[in-house]
Parts: sequence; C-alpha cells; structure tokens
Amino acid sequence: MSTFLFDSLYSGLNNVLDLRSKQHALSAGNIANADTPGYKAKFIPFDQVLGDALQNNESVGMQRTSAMHIEGSGTLSNPKVEETEAPEWAEDGNSVVAEREMARLSANSMLYGAVVRGVSQRLAILRYAASDGKG
Amino acid sequence: MDLLDTFNISGSGLAAQRLRLQTVASNMANAKTTRTEDGTPYQRRVPVFESETVDPFGDVLERNLAGVAVSGVESVAEFKKIYDPSHPDADAEGMVELPDINVLEEMVDLMTTARSYEANLKVVDLTREMAMKALEIGR
Repeated sequence: MSTFLFDSLYSGLNNVLDLRSKQHALSAGNIANADTPGYKAKFIPFDQVLGDALQNNESVGMQRTSAMHIEGSGTLSNPKVEETEAPEWAEDGNSVVAEREMARLSANSMLYGAVVRGVSQRLAILRYAASDGKG
Repeated sequence: MDLLDTFNISGSGLAAQRLRLQTVASNMANAKTTRTEDGTPYQRRVPVFESETVDPFGDVLERNLAGVAVSGVESVAEFKKIYDPSHPDADAEGMVELPDINVLEEMVDLMTTARSYEANLKVVDLTREMAMKALEIGR
C-alpha cells in the first residue's frame, strides 16, 4: 500500500475495523446458540491480538515452525479465537452468558463506531489538504 | 465473512426460537389432551438445537462462526396418571393418563424463548447500525 496518502495508521484502523466486525459475527453466533447444548461462547482476545501486532510492528503475528511451539495470538487478518469453558453447574454444558454477550456486543459496536470516526477524520484531513485548505 | 453472514446467523437464531415458541404453544394447548392419532395421550414436544458451522473449511474465524439449526422436534412419551372417574377416558380404577406437561414450566420456557428472540433481534439491529456507520466513512 502506498505510504504517501495512506500511512500505517490508516491501514491499522482498517485492520481494527475488520477485527471488530469479526467479533460482531462471533457474538451473533454466540447469541443464536444461547440454547444449544454443549456450545462454547467464542471471542477474539483483542488485547492479545493487538498487543502482539504492536510488538511485532507488523500484521504477521508470531510464526510457528513446529506444532510443539507455543501458539501465538494469530495475525490481524486471521486472529486467534478463544472459547469460554462452561461452568460446572451448567447442566447443558453451554457457556453463553446472555448479559456478558450483550455487553460485549454493544461495547464492540461502540468501538467500531469510534474507529469509523477515526478513519473519517483521517480522510477529512486528506480532503482538506487536497482542497488547498479551503475544504 | 461479511456483515451479511452475521444477518444469517441471527436469522437462524430467530427461526430456532420461533420454532421453540410453537412447540411451547402446542404443549400448552394440549396439556389435557388424552386422545391422539397414535391412541396415546398427547406427547410433550421438545425442540433439539444444534450449532451449525458457517464454513467448516474457512480460516480460524470462519470455522468458529456458528449459526443454530433445529436438528429435530422430539416427543417425550411420558404420562402422568390422575384420578378422575368422570372422565370418558378413565380406566376401570378411575385413573386417566394425561400428558406429562407442567404449565408453569412451559410458561418459564415461553419467557426465556421471548428473551432469546429479543436478544437475536437486538443483534440484527446492531449489525444494521454498524453497516450504516461503515457507509458513513468519508462523509
């Protein structure tokens, strides 16, 4: 990608937008399966995935050359998905907690909105520059 | 994977909950039914849910995305006997076989069904909202 107009911040925002919409789909699946016996709630561990991407300063994530190595948190485009274990008292082995899922869902969609605003601001700056500061 | 997949997942949840609502309605309506085509009292219907992977051959995320499918509606062949000699289907000792349906349990099931349905609807709303926000990029 060109680093002239669209720098790493721009592509970073795009990646996070993508991750957020993936998390949204996972939450939708969790809620659809709230009554399915044995279903485990799934989520993307954002802090791990983003933290690793920050450390590596690129989107490749930690590479594994052997199955014996520790599993990395995946890449930004193909992140790791974690499952919540069901508590022992859950008779049907289902680990979806409706409240937790709805909270995760609205937090996620709020952050999605925040990132959308970030991307828009970024583009507004470019438009301002492109219009000789008259925009 | 796109936002449309999310609509499909929530749609499968809505469909499953509506079917569950229908079984509850059927169970409540037939709580005292003693005659069916099989010659037994009405048998309580229970829907069985199963998670259905959206794309089993996709990447990590796609393999983890799951909608819900109804794998069947099973009948529970359990009956309770109550004493009611005036009932036309009473046996020689005055006992009548009724479906093993607890109306209170069905009511609770009804309420959890409604809540699950609402939760799925909320997800549809949020998905639409997110898609609209994405359309606003660059405006």
